[in-house]
Amino acid sequence: MKVFFTILICKLLRLAGKAVGHGSSLPGQIALKLCPDILSRVKLPQYIIAVTGSNGKTSTVEMIAHILKKNGKRVSWNKEGSNQIEGVTTLVLSESTLGGRVKSDILLIESDERFARYTFKYITPTHYVITNLYRDQLTRNGHPEWVFDALKDSIHDETELILNADDPLVSLFGVGRKAVYFGADKLESDTAELNSVYNDGAYCPACKAPMKYTTHHYNHIGHYACTSCGYKRQPTSYTITSVDLDKGEMVIDGKYTITLALKSLYNIYNILSAYTVASIIGIDGEKIARDMSDYVLKNGRVITFELKSRKGTLLTSKHENSVSYDQSIRVASACKEGCDVMFIVDAVSRKYFTSDVSWLYDIDFEMLNNENIGEIILSGRYFNDLAARFSYTDIPSEKIRIIPEIEKAVDYLDSDRKEYIYVITCFSDKGKFLEKLKGDKR
Amino acid sequence: MKILHLYHDFMNLYGEWANVRALERLLEKNGISFSTDKLSLGDSFEPEDYDFIYVGSGTERNRNVALEHLRPYKDKFGDYIEKGKVALFTGNSFEMLGKSITTADDTIIEGLGLLDATVKEQNKTRITSDVIYNADFLSKPLVGFINKCGRLEISGDKLFDVEYGLGDSEGAKTEGVRKNNLFGTHLTGPALVKNPHFLVYLAELLIGQAPDDSSLGYEKAGFEVTLKALKERAGAER
Repeated sequence: MKVFFTILICKLLRLAGKAVGHGSSLPGQIALKLCPDILSRVKLPQYIIAVTGSNGKTSTVEMIAHILKKNGKRVSWNKEGSNQIEGVTTLVLSESTLGGRVKSDILLIESDERFARYTFKYITPTHYVITNLYRDQLTRNGHPEWVFDALKDSIHDETELILNADDPLVSLFGVGRKAVYFGADKLESDTAELNSVYNDGAYCPACKAPMKYTTHHYNHIGHYACTSCGYKRQPTSYTITSVDLDKGEMVIDGKYTITLALKSLYNIYNILSAYTVASIIGIDGEKIARDMSDYVLKNGRVITFELKSRKGTLLTSKHENSVSYDQSIRVASACKEGCDVMFIVDAVSRKYFTSDVSWLYDIDFEMLNNENIGEIILSGRYFNDLAARFSYTDIPSEKIRIIPEIEKAVDYLDSDRKEYIYVITCFSDKGKFLEKLKGDKR
Repeated sequence: MKILHLYHDFMNLYGEWANVRALERLLEKNGISFSTDKLSLGDSFEPEDYDFIYVGSGTERNRNVALEHLRPYKDKFGDYIEKGKVALFTGNSFEMLGKSITTADDTIIEGLGLLDATVKEQNKTRITSDVIYNADFLSKPLVGFINKCGRLEISGDKLFDVEYGLGDSEGAKTEGVRKNNLFGTHLTGPALVKNPHFLVYLAELLIGQAPDDSSLGYEKAGFEVTLKALKERAGAER
């Protein structure tokens, strides 16, 4: 009876919440108060797939859901990105019958890294994808090893791990456990030396002796081996065998070609992890490749825009996440037609307060020191910190324009210049840019 | 002038490399000739060869490994401090210099014993905080961020008074330690870029006169913006 009422109340709150446009965590929060172990009292489907990691969780989950639905599976997933236990509870109960049975074939859960141990106390995933562990929101997360330790507590012995073989810290979860690995062969875009301000792969995560890389895909993601304890990259069961970013194509397992709507290495890893999950569930590789080709993410992180005669793209990146910035900067710096780049740091986070800008020093802005880049515009409340950071690069100062107010920076971009525009900023600040764009169109 | 950036690739968790780079650039602008050694695990060194030694933050595991590497230098580094030579340890790195570190699994690791300090760690909640500190040797406050998992008990000369945010432990009114010209603080990241007046103070200790700081315009303006943001925040929380 308790289960019935808890589910009923959660469903009603969810409906009411939807009607007034509320978020999806409150109904779950109340359900957990009514019945703290409600998640273990619900009958869950055959497949429970969890996805976590620093970057790409939302995109990966969206892609997995897309493929599965295209192939006739009924999928329940937290599409609004409420990825802590409350949001997951709302998801599970909303998708349940009043008798307490989840109606779908597959329960797909995006989970926050630090709080996964609470969510998966009551739910045992059949499969658990860990995409990567980067320096991400360190003002809350501490550091990647701290997150590793927190995540470790969320893993059940019977769960099959699906791990990124190219991330040394993520792969460490597989030691002594059931695990399947995905990763990329040596790619044309790889470098022998690390291209990053810092190197989180310099030392072995298992024994702290120096590691050697034979190839770097990006940052510390690549092919590594410890010089001391024998820890090394595992062979992969699902593999990116080649990538042509100029052409916008990737090949998985040597036979499935996927055309890319978004030409970044980031994106190909998200596609690969989605491919891996769909393959494990039994969907044919060819079908997955077809479903993923030219797939445009619906989460609005990449937005193209026009500013009178100029065209541009907003690359939503994450403040406090240098790998995310590095990826966006890599896209801009590869723009052979020439581009201007604008950075906005106005509010470090939309969810909490911090004034910490240390993360700017982990970003490899030096990549912008090439002939493809025209002007670099720095804007937002923390423009001085951006300017100070750029002063520690070799980028000529005459390329840099400092325009503190975002509106004025947009007015400045609205010029006769022909260069493409990349705007690189975070969820917390992109609205200020987009509003100004919209205002100008009126 | 010889600078040592120790564990540059191992204790560099929050962009700490910029502390050394900021000092180098200020010395360059002031026409001071210097060289920098970047050393790490597996390297050996003579502390007395240097005029400035810097170590930044690392993960708890990295700090423990670095401590074992630093252990044989206990006496030589102790002499370095006694002679009044300048060293800056930021983040959790200065915990290596205390008496002991008790890790989250209750392992007790003996420190170098150069400071009268003990640390007790836990692994449940990350201890983080934006902060405003004051120092009696600086005319302006300091801004920054604390990011750790331990409680520090320390006696000796305190480095900073807490104006906003966390100190050595919950409720503590002070943060960090100063012993002669050894500065130990849990401030993380490029603290010398965020607090150019602290950078200038250290440079003055090194070169014996106030350096020309006219090259620090963005740093100074950035400091004021952050100080304002933190004061607003402190006011809102009151």
